[in-house]
Amino acid sequence: MNDIGTSAVQSTWLLNVVNVVAILVFVVGSAAFTTWVERRMLGIWQDRYGPNRVGPFGVLQVLADMIKLLWKEDWVPSFADKFVFVVAPTIAMFVVVAAFAVVPVAPGIGVVDLNVGLLFFLAMTSLGVYAVMFGAYASDNKYALLGGLRAAAQMVSYEVFMGLSLMGVVMLTGTFNLREIVHAQEDGWFFIPQFIGMVIFFIAGIAESHRTPFDLPEAEHELTAGFHTEYSGMKFGMFFIGEYVSVLLTAAMMTVLFFGGWLGPTWGFLAYIPPVFWFLLKAGILVLLMILIRGSLPRPRYDQLMAFGWKAMLPLAMVNLLITAVVVLL
Amino acid sequence: MSIAVEATQEIPGILIELLSAFPDLQEQSCADAMPTVWATKSQIKNVLKKAKNLNYPLLYDITAIDERVRDKRVGQPESEFTVVYQLLSFGRNEFLRIKVALFDASLSIASVSDIYPNANWYERECADMFGIVFEGHPTPYPLMIPSTWKGHPLRKEHPARATEMEPFSLPDEIQDEEQEALRFDPHKWGMTRHGDNTDFMFLNLGPNHPSVHGVFRIALQLDGEEIVDAVPDIGYHHRGAEKMAERQAWHSYMPYTDRIDYLGGVMNNLPYCMAVEKLAGIKVNDRIKTIRIMLCEMFRIQSHFLFLGTFAQDVGQMSPIFYIFKDREFLFNIIETITGGRMHPSWFRIGGVAQDLPSGWDIKIREFLKMMPKNLKHYQSMIMKNRILKQRTVGVGVYNTEEAFEWGVTGGGLRATGFNWDIRKAMPYSGYENMDFEVPTATNGDCYDRAAVRFEEVWQSLRIIEQCLKNMPAGSYKADHPLTTPPRKDRTMMDIETLIHHFVHESWGPAIPAGECCTPIEATKGLNSYYIVSDGGTTSYRTRIRTPSFAHLQQIPSISRGMMVADLIAIIASIDFVMADVDR
Amino acid sequence: MILYLVLVVGLIIAMLAGPYFLGRRRVSRAVNEPYECGIVPVGSAQYRVPIPFYLFAIFFVIFDLEAVFLYAWSVAVKEVGWAGFIEALVFIVILLVALLYLWRMGALDWRTTRQKRDRARVQPR
Repeated sequence: MNDIGTSAVQSTWLLNVVNVVAILVFVVGSAAFTTWVERRMLGIWQDRYGPNRVGPFGVLQVLADMIKLLWKEDWVPSFADKFVFVVAPTIAMFVVVAAFAVVPVAPGIGVVDLNVGLLFFLAMTSLGVYAVMFGAYASDNKYALLGGLRAAAQMVSYEVFMGLSLMGVVMLTGTFNLREIVHAQEDGWFFIPQFIGMVIFFIAGIAESHRTPFDLPEAEHELTAGFHTEYSGMKFGMFFIGEYVSVLLTAAMMTVLFFGGWLGPTWGFLAYIPPVFWFLLKAGILVLLMILIRGSLPRPRYDQLMAFGWKAMLPLAMVNLLITAVVVLL
Repeated sequence: MSIAVEATQEIPGILIELLSAFPDLQEQSCADAMPTVWATKSQIKNVLKKAKNLNYPLLYDITAIDERVRDKRVGQPESEFTVVYQLLSFGRNEFLRIKVALFDASLSIASVSDIYPNANWYERECADMFGIVFEGHPTPYPLMIPSTWKGHPLRKEHPARATEMEPFSLPDEIQDEEQEALRFDPHKWGMTRHGDNTDFMFLNLGPNHPSVHGVFRIALQLDGEEIVDAVPDIGYHHRGAEKMAERQAWHSYMPYTDRIDYLGGVMNNLPYCMAVEKLAGIKVNDRIKTIRIMLCEMFRIQSHFLFLGTFAQDVGQMSPIFYIFKDREFLFNIIETITGGRMHPSWFRIGGVAQDLPSGWDIKIREFLKMMPKNLKHYQSMIMKNRILKQRTVGVGVYNTEEAFEWGVTGGGLRATGFNWDIRKAMPYSGYENMDFEVPTATNGDCYDRAAVRFEEVWQSLRIIEQCLKNMPAGSYKADHPLTTPPRKDRTMMDIETLIHHFVHESWGPAIPAGECCTPIEATKGLNSYYIVSDGGTTSYRTRIRTPSFAHLQQIPSISRGMMVADLIAIIASIDFVMADVDR
Repeated sequence: MILYLVLVVGLIIAMLAGPYFLGRRRVSRAVNEPYECGIVPVGSAQYRVPIPFYLFAIFFVIFDLEAVFLYAWSVAVKEVGWAGFIEALVFIVILLVALLYLWRMGALDWRTTRQKRDRARVQPR
């Protein structure tokens, strides 16, 4: 599959390896880093400290947590369906990290340039529901099962219009190729013409990574830990990292599709700043926004969440699609 | 030492009416002037039915007294175990105490849970603690004690200290047995395992669950997410506080009361102090009363703050609790300056408070009163105006005033149904009659309104504290009475009599005159009272602690059937209880 | 791309294998019980799940499959022009009508009867 189609990554094999390894390390590393950012930012917004002891500003807390997880007991419950139990977190982590392959970070930086990049992203994220379902069902735990049922219902519902919300962008550009979509935004970022699409995608993205206010599958106050109640140690850690990679993925895709990807100002000295900086800046702001949302909103009830999806988001996504089509055709 | 019983001027109307219907009822006069009658075992149901018709809609409490070793029972019928029913009438603004004598040989009485539904738990508790059988009880299973428990803790022959028993050990077999005994048996509670086309899931919510505010368990029968039925199970936090009262000196029991409603702090000391003071005939001055009110209202704010923070948190709003805790911390610092303690200062004393207010005590309070309005408005809009929170809580956990009566709900939960009744206004105590405040109410009686009422109560508490601040009377912090604790030191070294007196009081504590007394107060969560039976000794003969939380929990099944698990969490968050207050 | 996926799999295997070798193993009695707040559970967690949950699955199959057709139209919207737009419009309108039908039938209202009743009983806030 390497270098199928056109590619901005026309580099030597070695460069390619460096690129790939760098991105993988960066994705997993920044997911871990995001956990620290989140705890720290929530701390600041909530008038408290957050982790501030390990290393400068507590930044090494991430490392400490990782070491701790590595030394935790590798435990599979005796009552669980053992194979599925182990496979579930694997899927959770794999699909989101794999989906990152199509994210065009900057010219020359990115794992692969697929013609159907957008579809690949949608396909990978839609697989995420399996992780939750498998994990829940294999646990043979009632809280996990309730969490799993909620997750399945929520994720499949929000997936329907997640895809539709992106089709407006596809109409404007006529391609599924993410790099081409970024280039198409040189005259103006899509968050203006596709504002509704952006909002819907953002909401669906939060729902897909089941974070507050869409964290019903693991709603601590209701279902203890929801679908990962029986998970501990690194297998829990994989669900955890998966969630944060998913946050990054949503932010990265938002950046690519609606905020001009790596494109930055072209005047003055700002033009000399490497494009990757703009990408990271935009994605970072979006991640902070998601953390802020987590800090401020309560959690709706399951039926309210579903009704919101089916009665508001889905029709809105379809109408958005029609309006965009009219505009494109005119 | 004289037995100080306040003479009742006239016979209350309820007694006249009851006696005309049941001429053989025997009156008893108590120190608290609460109308009290003795009924016989066979007529208790009819008496209670009559009382209910005579405008006594709320069963306040049912408890029992093991009378077998009690000496001073002058004027009371022969009895080995006395079951005590307490009713409350809002229309008459009066309590009513009905007692029934039972004998060990036939320790049974008819259940009254068909007249007052909330008798259910009270009767189960009595059965656990005294071994009294309630005939016709729908669910006669242990409530407070594990089903494997041997004996009845509040009987006088049951040991009170660990040193009177075998050392505790928990071998694996016993642990398995205990765990097995806790397994929920749907059949026992009349539940089926299968519906028409689904299987029901039986889920234990608690005792180890983030949203049950302690160790509280609800066994749920679920159809998907919908709650078909629920069985609350309590007793995991039971410490035998009532038993401890029987072997602690009157004075040294004070710290135990703080830990009943552990968010209420000195608010718990108040009903205990007032009851003992009434028995001892101690009158406290206005300064003491005002200091007590001020501290109590501070703790009401503390408790409501925690309630409001966790209320928001339980429906998923993460941040408000942190903001609220900052102000709570400020208030704790004030309490610390005054009492030296924070959550459990145990600061009230029989006949006064522990120390006088420190100089400059008002500075921080002024600061607090100045900063609170702005902050409180901020929290109120942050929590109560949030649309998702409204969706989660409006129309959830609804009950009306009649249903609240049925389940013995008091406090904010009762006022949220639109019923304007606060015992601070209705039967003022400790100087509340001099305070200017309003009783906030709401209309819907749902989760949202219960929180809204508490926000308004915080405003009123701030008003009361401000009045205390402005009008703090001069005077002593301790009543001038021989039974005041700790005893007065000033004349100790003058002569041998006062020295002996001081020594005896200091070492054994005071001997409170025999009698019975109960002084309900509006605690943080509802009506709270200590029903104290003294036999004239240095310890209480029987102390019954009536707590609001106990009643509130019993109501959970009726308001959560047909709702979803998420609603149950909102309901639990909104009914304001702490498990220590439930189990005691 | 393949290299990337291989590396991802490698990383996951490393993460699984790490604790397998590093973590210590303990045997204790309570770990072999499913977590149910510290109480021995009644019945298994693998039971017949109520029907409403399957409704989602069915709606999902219907709507997501049809959404996929719209993906194809989106990428070619300029090529197929107004004719394609009309066809898509008809398609979307049918979908919306179906959604409206489900809505009216109450299939999208997952509230319980009591939730609806109690909500109607109180004044809005």
